[in-house]
Amino acid sequence: MSDAPIKAIGETLLLPETTTLKSITNSVSRVTETKAPRGWWILFLLAASFTGVLGLAIAYLAWTGIGTWGNNSPVAWAWDITNFVWWIGIGHAGTLISAVLFLFRQKWRTSINRFAEAMTIFAVICALIFPGIHVGRIWHAYYMLPIPNQMGIWPNFKSPLIWDVFAVNTYFLVSLLFWYTGLIPDFASLRDRTTSKVRQFVYGFFAFGWRGSNRHWRNYERAYLILAAISTPLVLSVHSVVSFDFATSVMPGWHTTIFPPYFVAGAVFSGFAMVMTLLLIARSVFGLQDLVTMKHLELMNKIMLVTGTLVGYAYAMEFFIAWYSGNEYERYVFINRATGPYWWAYWSMVTCNVISPQLFWSKKLRTSIPLMFVISIFINIGMWFERFVIIVTSLHRDFLPSSWGNFSPTIVDICIYSGSLGLFFTLFLLFIRWIPMIAMAEVKGVLPGSQPHHHHDEDEEHAAHGAPVAAPAE
Amino acid sequence: MSKRKPYEFSKPAQSGKVFWTSLEAKADPEAHQQRAAAEFPHGADGSDKDSVQVGRRTFMGVAGAAGALLGLEGCVRRPEEKILPFTKQPEYVLPGIALHYATSVRSAGEPVGLLVTTYEGRPTKVEGNPQHPASLGGTDGYVQASILDLYDPDRSAGPAQKSGEGLKDTTLADFDKAFDALAKQADANKGAKLRVLAAPSQSPTTLRAQQALLARFPQAKIYNYEPVGPANAKAGAKLAFGVAADAFYSYRRARTILALDSDFAGNEAGSTRAAREFADGRRLSSARDGMSRLYVVEPGFTSTGGSADHRLRLPASQIGAYLKALAAELVARGAIKEPADKAPADPNAQPETSAAKANLEPLRAAVSGAKAPAGVPEKWIKAVAAELSGPQSEGRSIIVVGSRQPPAVHALAFALNQALGNIGRTVLLHPPLEAEPTAALDGISALAKEIAGGAVDTLLILGGNPVLDAPADLKFGELLGKVATTIHASEYRDETSLLTTWHVPRAHAFESWGDLRGSDGTYSIQQPLIAPLRGGRSDAELLALLGGVQQWRGHPQVRATARELFKGKGESFEQLWRSTLHLGMARELPPTPITEVAVGGDALAAALAALPAGETPSAQNLEVNFAADPALFDGRHANNPWMLELPDPVSCISWDNAAYVSAATAKELGIANYDVIRIKGAGGESVEIVTWVLPGQADNTITLHLGWGRKAVGRYGKGAGFDVYPLRTTKAFGFGTGFSVEKTGARYSIAQSQETHSMEGRPIAIDTTLEEYRAKPDFAQFRSPSLSTLPLWTEVKYEGHRWSMVIDLNACSGCNACLVACQAENNVSSVGKEQVARGRDMFWLRLDRYFVGDDEADPQIAFQPVACQHCEEAPCENVCPVNATAHSPEGLNDMAYNRCIGTRYCMNNCPYKVRRFNFLDFTGQVPETRRMQYNPNVSVRMRGVMEKCSYCVQRIQEAKIAARRDNRRLRDGDIKVACQQACPSAGIFFGDLNDPNSRVSKLTKMDRQYKLLPEIGTQPRTSYLAKIRNPNPEMQG
Repeated sequence: MSDAPIKAIGETLLLPETTTLKSITNSVSRVTETKAPRGWWILFLLAASFTGVLGLAIAYLAWTGIGTWGNNSPVAWAWDITNFVWWIGIGHAGTLISAVLFLFRQKWRTSINRFAEAMTIFAVICALIFPGIHVGRIWHAYYMLPIPNQMGIWPNFKSPLIWDVFAVNTYFLVSLLFWYTGLIPDFASLRDRTTSKVRQFVYGFFAFGWRGSNRHWRNYERAYLILAAISTPLVLSVHSVVSFDFATSVMPGWHTTIFPPYFVAGAVFSGFAMVMTLLLIARSVFGLQDLVTMKHLELMNKIMLVTGTLVGYAYAMEFFIAWYSGNEYERYVFINRATGPYWWAYWSMVTCNVISPQLFWSKKLRTSIPLMFVISIFINIGMWFERFVIIVTSLHRDFLPSSWGNFSPTIVDICIYSGSLGLFFTLFLLFIRWIPMIAMAEVKGVLPGSQPHHHHDEDEEHAAHGAPVAAPAE
Repeated sequence: MSKRKPYEFSKPAQSGKVFWTSLEAKADPEAHQQRAAAEFPHGADGSDKDSVQVGRRTFMGVAGAAGALLGLEGCVRRPEEKILPFTKQPEYVLPGIALHYATSVRSAGEPVGLLVTTYEGRPTKVEGNPQHPASLGGTDGYVQASILDLYDPDRSAGPAQKSGEGLKDTTLADFDKAFDALAKQADANKGAKLRVLAAPSQSPTTLRAQQALLARFPQAKIYNYEPVGPANAKAGAKLAFGVAADAFYSYRRARTILALDSDFAGNEAGSTRAAREFADGRRLSSARDGMSRLYVVEPGFTSTGGSADHRLRLPASQIGAYLKALAAELVARGAIKEPADKAPADPNAQPETSAAKANLEPLRAAVSGAKAPAGVPEKWIKAVAAELSGPQSEGRSIIVVGSRQPPAVHALAFALNQALGNIGRTVLLHPPLEAEPTAALDGISALAKEIAGGAVDTLLILGGNPVLDAPADLKFGELLGKVATTIHASEYRDETSLLTTWHVPRAHAFESWGDLRGSDGTYSIQQPLIAPLRGGRSDAELLALLGGVQQWRGHPQVRATARELFKGKGESFEQLWRSTLHLGMARELPPTPITEVAVGGDALAAALAALPAGETPSAQNLEVNFAADPALFDGRHANNPWMLELPDPVSCISWDNAAYVSAATAKELGIANYDVIRIKGAGGESVEIVTWVLPGQADNTITLHLGWGRKAVGRYGKGAGFDVYPLRTTKAFGFGTGFSVEKTGARYSIAQSQETHSMEGRPIAIDTTLEEYRAKPDFAQFRSPSLSTLPLWTEVKYEGHRWSMVIDLNACSGCNACLVACQAENNVSSVGKEQVARGRDMFWLRLDRYFVGDDEADPQIAFQPVACQHCEEAPCENVCPVNATAHSPEGLNDMAYNRCIGTRYCMNNCPYKVRRFNFLDFTGQVPETRRMQYNPNVSVRMRGVMEKCSYCVQRIQEAKIAARRDNRRLRDGDIKVACQQACPSAGIFFGDLNDPNSRVSKLTKMDRQYKLLPEIGTQPRTSYLAKIRNPNPEMQG
């Protein structure tokens, strides 16, 4: 009865017929309950050592100065802001999947949304490092916050960087709340399954006394819906605001009205690629093929195809407008991007971001796991290059040729970038180990026979299907 | 530890004294005691159980918390400052209030009058003395940088005596004893074996001291040598006219100027005045004005060549031949003729007649039939001769020859100037101090011969560094070993000091008394600004000491000289002395120009006949020419970080010199930029140096800049550049041929302040020809698209002042003086080669240089000084997240360093890229002595902070305070910003746009005024006046 709507629109089931409520709980919870496999330890130590490198590099940077990076005049921003925008962009897929797809009742999202949201949180944590450390006087970075002071000086609310501070912090807080709210029923499941006192206490603490009652479910669903509604505009606004850093400047190559939608599309694009990369690994390592099926992967590939093409359109449109505007500085910047000293970065970007996703037009290719893995890596690289191209190639040759220069990174640049990847994976591995990486409660909701959202009388459905979901007895 | 108790009042013993704190206490000690206890409620005796007791634990707790807070406080860097009061206030010295003293120094072979700013007795900044004719308010970059030399931490700190391989520190007393003993020893043979080597002196006092020395030791000899200087020009004047004469050129009056291998507006002697006069001769207030025309013939691009209307690339060795051919053409045109009855009236009305009794026949004979060197286009003979001999140029032309050319070429130029009626009008002659001028190499060669012959046992070297800079084939370092006692007085323990038996510190020009007489006869006094920091002595003092002068100290010596000079000038000597000190020059000693000269006959003809024909160099037979470096000069500023970092105005290379070659020659030799090559001379001498291909270089020539690659140099100069002196011999002193080049295979990195040399067709440093300017006076506006951006915010009405700067590109000769002045005024850091290469130089004001023209091998140069434009709609201000850069009510774009956190967003968004970021700690390591140079009115910026041109806001404030104090309005010209002040060509103007009569208001209304990148809508406050060139139509095609 409940799977009727899916069948009615000619789609197949999201999960295999053999999947049961119990099998979901078992396969997801098991990961946190058994001893970590050797592979996890190897990866964790590797990632943690990179995090250590990040810490040391930041300490050295704070002690010695921004000069330890390759930044210079005219390229005052380089890898720092490239990394920042890249990480923020990656985070976007999480919000899109969890919030927007939720509002649009895209049931297939349930298998991947926890994953994607965790990725959002960690990516934003990585991103937030950069505005903090890229300033010359790190110990005064708090001047960017509107803290009342006896001098009566406020931040400059005209500055897009201040908008950025607000946008990204809001994004982080809302994403964290959203993610945490979704976790509460699953924490309760873990609490109820364990016999260890410690686990009972810790998961019990985080589960906020969840008992799966009707009232709990009712409040939970409301809260989740509201947070989804709050998060949805953030998907569009955060990266739009980030793009204002560039779009509101006077620099040719930055001063472009197309930036907000272009950045949002790029963010979703890169976010999906990162989810894909991580998911493919986790899926095979932890044997979650039943929960993350080929159908999910294919749908994600389709989104990547769409957003990749959108990004490609934006690239083309930038060139067209540069020519059409008749502004010689603008024209020069774009010709220089494609043919100047950083041509390799530009063409890497085009190859990775525009050409490689086009392979997904073919059903055979978009259902090939090795290929989609490779392409997702490509897109991650390509999107990093996109930000590098926007920032460095626009700055390095602007208005006055006398001030042109080049940028080359230093070892500290490399350490901080790879260290931020280390931090991301450290957090991710900890997440996989201790937190249900798939939203059990939500996946159960898309099992055949449990479609609470497709019934008019929601409260009744919750009572009928919601309660057993969290019950550990099965 | 016992607990402290408050003082307890108790009733005094009957007989004891009553101690009381107040009348109340005395009246009723007990009641008072109670009040006192109430005042300290936490009675320390421990009886009050409820009160907070500061016991050991509480104390540790509170102290721990406070310590933690202190730790947080420690995150905020605050400078540790100690202040001490004057117990006895010295007269005039007010902290933070500058005093200015007039003095003068010799720079690049010519005295310049200066005003030096001092704070609390500490000189910090050098400025030109507007009263002094050789300065006219401007200076060159060397003078600006000399203030940092004063505080060089690596200056010699005291006398030293040779001990084994090195120098051993001694005391000044030991030195004086040894010096005295030497003098007594030399008395025996009347100084027959005593020699003195010094730079040619322009100081009457030093010459008097020399006379005193020679009086005591009649057999002693004094030789003059300096590696770069105007000696050949003086020798040439003697050759041409038979009388010794110092020449200076009035470029202001000239209509046609032919500069032969002469960087007269750059670093030739007297360039400060020349740059000003040259700019004055080309100052256009409207399209109707006329301007002079400059022809430059030179082997390598100089900044003067960049200002040329026509420039010919010609090897230095062919300049003489070219001038001979030009002279022949002038003869053929009948321009070389004896003057008519009366010479044309002189506009300056000083000399009455200019040319008289000339015997030009030998000259005509010597040059007739001379052929131009191969490759010289015919128009460069015909058209140039036509213009020089044309009626409009009569007495209004100048032929000027560079100092490295031999005396004969100078002589020929003087003779032609005489024949063209220029002497006394544009070429002014004055009697020199020394009666017998010698060519550049005469002194050192004669001395070398004497030493080799064993005729010298005591050699006193005053300044200079002959072991480094004497011609390599003299092997001066080896010769020193043959002299029993050698004494080197020098600011540094340099290459020469290390080989002498005694070193004595030489006082800096700002530390010693002295005087100078310019080549125009101006007498000025050099007064010390500070007692010798390192206990040095001046040349005159050492000479007088050796000469046994009783009053050997600088002050009485100079006063004695002045007393002699002022004899018969009416007023009391004290009055004259004071006014001269105050003014910086003696008004009462007017110049006495030479009015009667005649071109000498046979000597000139013989010298001209001996002039080599000037064979064309080839890739196998290269010409090498040596030039004074625009930054280090002859190597004297080799430990001055400002000068080391100062980019070469033409090549933009910082922290290095390079072998400049043309693209064609590089191709033929198979060398390219960054290749290290070995240049070998005919005599087997060789140097290794990095290649740099420079447009505008004559083919088959290599230009080498002197003074780099010093071995015995301080912390800054170590490893900077390549020493080219080993290639410089008596045969190839200014230039020479017969050199060959081979690749070493090594590569060398170069740091350039500017790496792109083309304007990419953008209207940036706009220039045009006079003809086009007349046809379309607003051409500069035409090429700038009109403002198309609406302001983002409501526009501000500037009610009070509206500061603005105007830079006349027509005046800019690319001399770099403004850059150094800005650095000195605003405590701008030097960052080192590696950081310059990374693009992190800190120049608040930079000199952009673009090559212009279709011919890549032979372009023109457009110079453009660029500092913060102080945009009214400043893009940097919008984007700063913390409000650290904001607009002042007078329209200045101000930086609040304390507020800046260093996001660098402003730097990105500045279209002019004038913002400078402290990427690293550039100021923390600056030694204490160098910090003495800091301007106390300008913050020293820490790392992580953005900085940029402030329009010298401290000077604006100073002038405003002065005006307020005097209860008057600020006058136009009260404020002179540092770059404006230094600019020798007076090409930078600053003032108030709200004052309709101010200079800047008028200049901004000029037709050739334009703003940089106006289409962005930034509305800069700085305007430029487009450059106008004046090409000769007959030279086209």
